[in-house]
Amino acid sequence: MPRKVTHDIIQRWEGNPVIDINDISFRCANIYSAGCLELNGKYIYLITFESLNGCTHIYYGESIDGIRIEVDDRPILSPDNTGFLAEYEERGILDARITSFDSRYYIIYLAKSKHGFVLCLAETEDFKSIQKKGIISQPDTKAGALFPKKINGRYARLERPNSGGSIWISYSNDLLTWGESEVVLSPRPGYWDAHHIGCSTVPLEINEGWLIFYYGVKKTSAGFLTRLGTAILDKENPASKIIGRSNEPVLSPREPYERIGDIQNLVFSCGAIYEENSTIKLYYGASANCLCLGTTTLKEIIDTCFESEREY
Amino acid sequence: MSRPMGRDFLHRWEGNPIVTLEDIPYRCNTVFNGTPVKAGDEYFLLLRVEGQQGYSFFSLARSQDGFHFTVDPEPVMLPAKEGPFARYETRGIEDPRLTEIDGRYYVLFTAVSNWGPRIELAETTDFVHYERIALISEPGNKDGVLFPEKINGRYARLDRPIGNNIGSIWISFSDDLIHWGDHQLVMTPHSGYWDSYRIGASAPPIKTEAGWLEIYHGIKMTRSGPIYKIGSVLFDLENPSRVIARCDEPILSPRETYERIGDVNNVVFACGAIVEENDDIKIYYGAADTCICVATGKLSHLVERTLESE
Repeated sequence: MPRKVTHDIIQRWEGNPVIDINDISFRCANIYSAGCLELNGKYIYLITFESLNGCTHIYYGESIDGIRIEVDDRPILSPDNTGFLAEYEERGILDARITSFDSRYYIIYLAKSKHGFVLCLAETEDFKSIQKKGIISQPDTKAGALFPKKINGRYARLERPNSGGSIWISYSNDLLTWGESEVVLSPRPGYWDAHHIGCSTVPLEINEGWLIFYYGVKKTSAGFLTRLGTAILDKENPASKIIGRSNEPVLSPREPYERIGDIQNLVFSCGAIYEENSTIKLYYGASANCLCLGTTTLKEIIDTCFESEREY
Repeated sequence: MSRPMGRDFLHRWEGNPIVTLEDIPYRCNTVFNGTPVKAGDEYFLLLRVEGQQGYSFFSLARSQDGFHFTVDPEPVMLPAKEGPFARYETRGIEDPRLTEIDGRYYVLFTAVSNWGPRIELAETTDFVHYERIALISEPGNKDGVLFPEKINGRYARLDRPIGNNIGSIWISFSDDLIHWGDHQLVMTPHSGYWDSYRIGASAPPIKTEAGWLEIYHGIKMTRSGPIYKIGSVLFDLENPSRVIARCDEPILSPRETYERIGDVNNVVFACGAIVEENDDIKIYYGAADTCICVATGKLSHLVERTLESE
């Protein structure tokens, strides 16, 4: 009897999706991805919701088990209607990625307007209120993730400027002015991540280097196919060399909830939780429609990054 | 007989173009988009030259009067072949803009690679030797110009990132010229006008009593391709992200044969201007990506003309 081949390295939770629009107390159009963190024995989430008018907001959710998530019925972070940021957040804010840094929490989110996408920084101590700190990139830049510690004495972030479709790194002394940008990881022609890529999860420090999950996009005649892969970057100088990079995706759209939605064939993550027993809980948005959970182990992911090229 | 009204606000010098392929002492494809500096009594023009291979680099021209230039025998700056800048200059270096700040000369230019264009900063003391300092933008950005003095204690620059496929002028600030932030939108293309498709900073801003005068380029897209024209705008001296007045008409449009016909037709594109003590302004511009020209006017008239637009 043939062995059942597991096609994806990430195991889907059998109860997926974790949150869909029937699970929440308010009306909305879509649920995107979520940044997440384990804090004082609870899991906390910053989840992007698209409201019925098309604008996106960020909601706070929390959970004891990582599966049943209680979502606030009001956004914790919304586009500003007045003041300096209003013009840049006019069409919504989304894709919060949370970094724990010296007992503070920094959030890089995306602001959307007719002028394009820019990265913004916010800060919180307790997730009861979040303070916006301002714009930290020029357009069009997406997928910003702050490293959880300084690299050679400076803050560092990953990001995806639109031009070139690659993941870049920039550095800062003050979190507000950034420079020394270098390319880190580029699309690979002929691969599943041939068209453009971007960082998904906040870098995790492991012995081998910085581990990230990233999204990779292939362009087909029917549109984009967005999958998830992983890479390990050099610890001292992440742009200097790629320590490991998965040749195959670790998660691809296959289930109906990943295939069908407002953006078809999309799995897109903004956060993972790394448990003490080496289990990884990866939260991902599927088809820009619902939030899902996949699990794996650190070992499997690291092995995937170092797996030599296979012919089939 | 001179007519009272020219076809354009700026006056073309009769001897245009001032630098062509014939003036370059080595083999190359074209010369265009030069940035001027007047140091002492001498004029320098840092030129963008496109080699026969297809990528661009810089050469230096010198003049005593700002109109008759002699080009140095060898290029002064080539794309880096090794070191940290090389991978971002594989497709050449383009469109330099020289700015003097407190007696130091900085040049912003566009470094082009497979990832797209980025803005790079270098410094020079003699216009012949250039020390690269840093790449100061991410890819997808060009047309960087430095303000000639600090504003509220910080360096400031204009540039042209592409957001939502729109090319607008933005401003950023820095304490050290290397790390930049406080990015703000300054000015967008003007729907229905001559600058409706894309705009970008051209000359480093000129300080006037009425505000920072910026000579910028505006593009209109037509069925047969883009038309590049030159316009002017005034920004608030203290808060240069605030537009005081923006010209509703271009101050120079491609009309002459050397502006209409070349590697890129219908282009006039300035990279700098010299203001003389007698209020004369000389604006140096590339024409049709094939030669360099100069147009003149009075700075005070240009400021008045810009203010009248509102």
